[in-house]
Amino acid sequence: MNLVGPYIKAMLLNRTLWFWGVAFMFFWLVMGAFVFNSGSSFSHAGAVDYTASWYGIIALFSLSTLATTITFSLSYSTSALAYGFRFTRLRPRDYLLSVLAGSGVLGIFLSVIMAVASVGVFSLHFGFALVPANLLALLGISAVAGTFMLVLAMSLMLTVVNYLGLRNTNFVGFLPLLLAYGFGIAQVNVSLPPWLEYASPYTDISSLFYQAFAGSAYPVDLSQAILTGSSASLQWPYLLLSLFVWILVLSAISTVLLRRIRPRSVEEGRQI
Amino acid sequence: MLEISHLTLTYPGGHSPALRDVSLALDREKMVVVGANGSGKSTLLKAALGLVPVPRGTVHLRDRDVNDITGDLGITTNLGEVYRLMYVPVGDLIRVYAGLKGGDPREIEGRFHDFELEETLRHRMHELSTGQQKMVGNLLAMSFRPELVLLDEPFDNVDFTRRRQYVELLQSHDGPLLLNTHEFELLRHFSDWDLGFMFEGQLLGRFRVADLDRLYVSRGEAPGALAVLHTRLGAFSITRDHGDVPLKGATSLNAVMEGIA
Repeated sequence: MNLVGPYIKAMLLNRTLWFWGVAFMFFWLVMGAFVFNSGSSFSHAGAVDYTASWYGIIALFSLSTLATTITFSLSYSTSALAYGFRFTRLRPRDYLLSVLAGSGVLGIFLSVIMAVASVGVFSLHFGFALVPANLLALLGISAVAGTFMLVLAMSLMLTVVNYLGLRNTNFVGFLPLLLAYGFGIAQVNVSLPPWLEYASPYTDISSLFYQAFAGSAYPVDLSQAILTGSSASLQWPYLLLSLFVWILVLSAISTVLLRRIRPRSVEEGRQI
Repeated sequence: MLEISHLTLTYPGGHSPALRDVSLALDREKMVVVGANGSGKSTLLKAALGLVPVPRGTVHLRDRDVNDITGDLGITTNLGEVYRLMYVPVGDLIRVYAGLKGGDPREIEGRFHDFELEETLRHRMHELSTGQQKMVGNLLAMSFRPELVLLDEPFDNVDFTRRRQYVELLQSHDGPLLLNTHEFELLRHFSDWDLGFMFEGQLLGRFRVADLDRLYVSRGEAPGALAVLHTRLGAFSITRDHGDVPLKGATSLNAVMEGIA
C-alpha cells in the first residue's frame, strides 16, 4: 500500500503548516528585506550573500514547522499505527519509507515556495533579479532536509509516547522548531565554532541551502563575509555527510520505536 | 477466535481498576455487553485489540497473544482512534484502508450510499458530526470481509433510520461479533445473541438476550445465583425467575441496583 499520496495530501490540508510554515515565513522575509537592513548598502555579491543567508534560515524555519506538524500528527495516530501493524497489511518499515518519501516531497514543496518568495522580495528590495545559483542542488537539499525533519520528529515523538506518556508532547512537539530558531539565529548573528556548524543538522541544512542559492560555500563568519567578502568557509561534502549520518541514526531509532509503538488515547492527552 | 483470561487493568493515575478479573471467550457467536458509561466496556474492547497495556491477564486472538499479531486482516473495529492514521477526507481514508485491508473501496462507498452518507466522503473526520463520525467507523468495521467485529457503542448519536439499517447489517454478519452499548432498549434487536453485563470493571455473564425477561437482581449473595457482583454498595446477585427486582423493562443496571440499595 502506497501511503505517500495520502500523507502529502494530509499535510497540505493542515492549516497550521500553511500559516506557521509559509505565511509567517513571508513576514520574516519582508522584515529581512525591508526592515533589518535598511540603511545598509551592499555590492551585488553582498546582496546575493545576504539574500542567500536569509533564504537558508527561512527555508530551515519552514521545514522545522513541518517537523512540528509531523510530531503533533503522530501523537494523534499512535492507536491507528498500532492497529494498522496488527490488523492490516501496514508494516513499520513500509510506513516509514512512505512518510520519508512524502516528507522529501514536502521538503521540496516548502523550500521552493520559500525560494520563490525570497527571490521576489529581495529582488524587489535590491532592484535587480536574484536567482538561485544551483536549482538542482537546492531541490536535492530540500528533499534531504525534509526527510531529516521526518525522522527527527518521529524519533522525538515516539520516544515520548512510548516511554514518557503524553505529558511532554506539547514541549517535544515544538522542540524541532525551537532548535531551528536557536541554531538559525545563532548561526547568522554569532560566529559559531566550525565543529558545531558541521555537527548540527540545522546548520548543515541552512549552510547547504545558502550554498545552493549563492553558489559559494557558507562562510564561517557570515557578517565579515558580507561586509568584507572574505572568510573561511564550510565544506559542503562534510555538511552533507553530517546530515546523512543524522538521518541514518534517526531512521534506525524511528524504526525501532515504530515497532514498539505504544498506543495512547487522545483523551489521555486532553486530561493531562 | 477471541479469548480474554483474568484481565485486570488500571490506567496510569487511576484510583481503581478499569477492568477487574475479566474473562471472555468468543468463538462463532455474537455477544452484546451492556453497561453504564465508564463501566469499562470500551477498555475491554481496546484490550482485545492490544490498544491498552495489559499488566495482568492475557488476550489471545486466533490462539496468538494480541501483542504478537501482525497482518490479521479479519479483525475489525469501529473505534474512531484506529482510523486517525492520516487526516484526509473520508473518501481518501476509505481508499487507504481498502488498500491496507485488501478490499475494494467501491464496496464500502456503496455502503455509504445505502446509508445516505455520501456527503461525509468529502470531509475529514473532525469536520463531521459525532453521529457521522460514528457511522464512518461503523461502516469501515463492517467492510472488507470481517471475521471478528468489535464494536464500541455503535449507536451513539446515530439517528433512528440509520440505527435500523445498521442493526440489519449486524444481523446479516455471519461470524463472531462483540458489541458494547449502554442502551438497554437496544437489546430487543439482538434476541438471539449472548449477553453480558459490565459494572465497575466486572463482566457478568454469560446470559442470553432472549432470557433477559427471566433475570432478576437481588441484594447480597443469593443461593443459586447465576452471577455475583461485588460493588462499593455491597454484593448483588443475578438470579433466574425470582429475585428482588426484574431486569425486564429496566433502563440500566445502575438504576436497578440503586433501586435495591
